[in-house]
Amino acid sequence: MKHQLTVAVKNHAIAVERFLRVARHRGFRLTRLELEGKDELFHVKMTIDSDKPIYLLTSQLSKLVEVQQVNLHTLQQQAI
Amino acid sequence: MTGAQLLIDLLAKQGVKEVFGYPGGAIMPIYDALYGAPVKHYLTRHEQGAGFAAVGYARSTGKLGVCFATSGPGATNLITALADAMMDSVPVLAITGQVPTAAIGSDAFQEVDVLGMSLSCTKHSYMVERAEDLAEVLQEAMHLALSGRPGPVLVDIPKDIQQAQVPFHPWLALDEAQPQVSPVQVQKAETLLAQAKRPVAYIGGGVQSADAQAELMQFLNKTQMPAVSTLKALGSVLPDYEYDLGMLGMHGGQAANIAVQECDLLVCIGARFDDRVTGNLAKFAAKADVIHLDIDPAEVGKRKPAQASLIADLKQSIPQLSCFVTDSDWLKTIKELKQLHAWRYDYPGERVFAPYLLNQLSQKMPDSGVVCCDVGQHQMWVAQHMKFTHPSNHLSSGGAGTMGFGLPAAIGAQIARPDDMVITVSGDGSIMMNIQELATIRRNNLPVKIVILDNQRLGMVRQWQQLFFDGRYSETNLSDNPDFVALAAVFGIPGQTITHANEVDDAIDTLVTSQGPYILHACIDDKENVWPLVPPGAANDEMMTEKA
Repeated sequence: MKHQLTVAVKNHAIAVERFLRVARHRGFRLTRLELEGKDELFHVKMTIDSDKPIYLLTSQLSKLVEVQQVNLHTLQQQAI
Repeated sequence: MTGAQLLIDLLAKQGVKEVFGYPGGAIMPIYDALYGAPVKHYLTRHEQGAGFAAVGYARSTGKLGVCFATSGPGATNLITALADAMMDSVPVLAITGQVPTAAIGSDAFQEVDVLGMSLSCTKHSYMVERAEDLAEVLQEAMHLALSGRPGPVLVDIPKDIQQAQVPFHPWLALDEAQPQVSPVQVQKAETLLAQAKRPVAYIGGGVQSADAQAELMQFLNKTQMPAVSTLKALGSVLPDYEYDLGMLGMHGGQAANIAVQECDLLVCIGARFDDRVTGNLAKFAAKADVIHLDIDPAEVGKRKPAQASLIADLKQSIPQLSCFVTDSDWLKTIKELKQLHAWRYDYPGERVFAPYLLNQLSQKMPDSGVVCCDVGQHQMWVAQHMKFTHPSNHLSSGGAGTMGFGLPAAIGAQIARPDDMVITVSGDGSIMMNIQELATIRRNNLPVKIVILDNQRLGMVRQWQQLFFDGRYSETNLSDNPDFVALAAVFGIPGQTITHANEVDDAIDTLVTSQGPYILHACIDDKENVWPLVPPGAANDEMMTEKA
């Protein structure tokens, strides 16, 4: 199943690396990534693919100190 | 004030009195600031020893454990201890020196991207890029390590920032809003509790993290709910609680595992449904609804769905549960299970029987004493056969299962609690993983007691090879072990070897009455296994036992 997330994360050099690592490790495959640094934040749009429930990722991302906000924008069922 | 002096100053302001570490080139300014400082530094003989000493210090007190290492290999040697602290939610601050800012990215001598390496084994991590950020980073790091679900935090400080003049920075107020229990979820939990006929409380390491033993015991005493504990939770439920069933899971007691499999309501208090606890997850407590109490919302539903969840500090959430009384038929069943599956110590052989030795040790050591384990068969025997009155008295590498944990963790615990007896129980495999720390014990005259249960094997791996790999004993024979008593003697530590059951009682008396460090080397049967055992893929009520 594919999901689109937007994540607002502090504009620290390591921050994006940190949450991408979490996504990979927790079993969510990244298929698209857009990143824009604006003021104090990075705004990240990501499309991810996994059979796992999406809350298993959002709950882990939300714990990261640099992550300010996680929004699940679309939820569409697609053939994998 | 330099950055290095600021670090020591802030540690002192935080109340940190002792730190563990090992110096090197990129952290020399910090070691210079330590010289004559009010924060006492304990030199270990390997950075991993420093990391685990910090873990032992933190776990035996609930206070922040602090370790220092230099850049490159110094920092990488800390990583295992940080991974261990991450898995077991231990508040540790790791300070690493880094090559000067201008040299970062140039493959400089002893340069490693420790910030990158830290991502998977810390709660959070920093590399300080500007001297003016140092005070805020350090204070935030200490706060993060201790707050919410505790964990390790790493701060990598380039050498030039350690040497730079830093501005005065006021102490920051970093308290944030704590999660509050949802009244809707409390109502759901009340309904589940009211309907339950066979409830079981499943206790995890969160009880220690939240310092919530008193709240837990109040809940259990009022409800009389049967309780099972994870490895990390042992000691949370007081040993005289009538319905304490001890540890559950792969090497848990049969009564504990059967009770969980039969329960219709599982009240999970600060635990995370770890695979060593659940066995086959689909079959774990399959008849039960779940009420999950935890400070970390990511743990709820991660492995097993919960019908009600109280997301808050356990000190706040446990008292929210109503005080019903558990059904008397269920309690009768629990008592029968306890009686039927009680541990037995009437071993027929003449060899030293490890469960008996540990049970005697538990009875003869003070209740206030601390036991630090390594990993393997001896660790499970400690969990099964020793009793603890507080989780901070039983330090065992839980999630990470790190061999080499026990000796340095005991050093940290002994320094944190100088008036309490601290005993390491290790195996002949594990003890060799950080054996160099005998020098730290001697250097500081720490009265750490060491028990080595020696079967001349990597016993747990050997056991699995016997049971699940057709007896193909690949690389588990350690019959070429050194003479452990002679080895300890080289470090100035006395001890004795025992080989027979009739030597056990006197040897334990000698150990617990010795004034300084002491080593008891107990030779046990190399074929002794840990029972019961839930085999891989099985449900927890499909345990293998010695008779099977």
